Amino acid sequence: MDVKKEIIAIIADVSGFDIEEITLDSDLVKDLEVDSIKAIEIAVAIEKKFKVSVRDEDIPKITTTKQMIALTENYLTKKGAS
Amino acid sequence: MTQIKSPYDVIVIGAGIGGLVCGCFLAKAGLKVLIAEQHHQPGGYCTSFRRRGFVFDAAAHSFGSCRENGNMRMILEALDLWKRIRVTRTVPSDIIVTPDHRITFWGSIDKTIAELQRAFPAEKKNIEKFINFLINSKAIDFAALRKKTYKNLLEEYFKDNKLMTILSLPVLGNGALPPSLICAFTGSKIFTEFILDGGYYPGKEMQALPDALVKRFRELGGELRLSCFVKKIRVKDNKASGVVLEKNGFIPSKYVVSNCDARQTFFKLLGKSIVQEEMLNKIDHMIPSLSTFILYVGIDKPFKSLPNPGTNVWFLPYYDLEKAYSSAKEGDIDKVEGFMVRFSPDKKTILAFVNAPFKNKTYWVRHKDKVMESFIKRIDQYVIPGLSNHIIYKEAATPHTLYHYTFNYQGAAYGWASTPAQLFTPELRQNTFIKRLYLTGHWTTQTQGIPGVAYVGMNTAKLILRRESSRRGVTT
Repeated sequence: MDVKKEIIAIIADVSGFDIEEITLDSDLVKDLEVDSIKAIEIAVAIEKKFKVSVRDEDIPKITTTKQMIALTENYLTKKGAS
Repeated sequence: MTQIKSPYDVIVIGAGIGGLVCGCFLAKAGLKVLIAEQHHQPGGYCTSFRRRGFVFDAAAHSFGSCRENGNMRMILEALDLWKRIRVTRTVPSDIIVTPDHRITFWGSIDKTIAELQRAFPAEKKNIEKFINFLINSKAIDFAALRKKTYKNLLEEYFKDNKLMTILSLPVLGNGALPPSLICAFTGSKIFTEFILDGGYYPGKEMQALPDALVKRFRELGGELRLSCFVKKIRVKDNKASGVVLEKNGFIPSKYVVSNCDARQTFFKLLGKSIVQEEMLNKIDHMIPSLSTFILYVGIDKPFKSLPNPGTNVWFLPYYDLEKAYSSAKEGDIDKVEGFMVRFSPDKKTILAFVNAPFKNKTYWVRHKDKVMESFIKRIDQYVIPGLSNHIIYKEAATPHTLYHYTFNYQGAAYGWASTPAQLFTPELRQNTFIKRLYLTGHWTTQTQGIPGVAYVGMNTAKLILRRESSRRGVTT
């Protein structure tokens, strides 16, 4: 699964911004208007898509698309290792 | 076959606050919007009615989140309504009365903190830390509260059960779940937006809020049809294509927004031919929030023991909210524990409410008067001595009444029960599995209360507007 592509699609779906408008450096809060409700929606969508469990404490630490992708990849690696 | 040209870009089902705010933002951006409301009055749970010369607020009785950077204020300002509505704030907004405490929530948060600290000196630092977390965290920080309960959150800060109960009573009242069941995200939002920044009132009655939104919506070119029942949402090639009205038949539109009960949206307006059985089963097993029993009393004249007009007084005779919730849920509401009562800002009426189960119409026809009398007796006994001697009119809304006027499933006061398991159910987001069909309001599992549904209403409009601007010129 292309994690990068899937995460951008999730962020686009939740934020309403077009896929083309979302870059790796997009700031979720400042550029894509992600608030607490949308942040949770993104977390829930990632959990559903990748069958991982997003730790609640990790959500507020995420600032950019790139970090969101890295976090998901990290969960997937851990999941694969367990 | 030629396609029928629709006069509407968007049809919004339901003129509750969520639908009205959504409609206003869409119309403001230049879209042609129709709002279809089944009732003859706009506002949903935020309406007022008149009986024997008294004006009663039907359910919603004040709202929050109007501080300088509050969401409700931001929305009203964006729609040029903040000054027009003349929102006033009652200070104190809330008073919580328990067997050995009377805690007042002031306009100044520092004063409220000091009051709590005086009552619970051993928790002095924790009170400051907790309230500091609520008011100074970034919005995104609340996302970390998704899987916890409000009880989990309180226990991270406090040891004193009495204090935790006091900080949970208005959450039970405004969220219809005890601290052990309500999600910390919702619980902390309710406490921050309704209590620490609560007590706001629009003009002379709650109806002033939806009325002002309707007026603005019409000024922006929107059309509102009242007593207009939507029978079906039409879907073609997995895209919403319009709605079927009971009186006027099919009305096409580019987008449909449903601000009504999610069960109605999926079971009735869409139906089995469109929605997969698996999804219907899931929705069928979801739990709605409890309903409420609301008492309306008209008094002969103001008297000494009445509380400050516009202040919400919460009363709990013990420190066990799990018990209060269980009695409400099981219908043991003769006991009417954990209620809220307020003297209206016009100083003529009293509104009180307690969480209550739906039951059915027959049950409430049989029990309404008894519950009303028992409720009045308890208010007289614990909060407003002498009330019984001043009553010249009394009436009550049962959970069935709430269902009857709004079609909220089982008269649910706040949409779905905000448990961690139900909050943010992916199938009930604003975007749905049907293209161009959006949900908004308290049945989205994201929010509740006036500021919450207004905020989600605005966000639903933004999602549609973004889609419109990115697809402009492209036929999809």
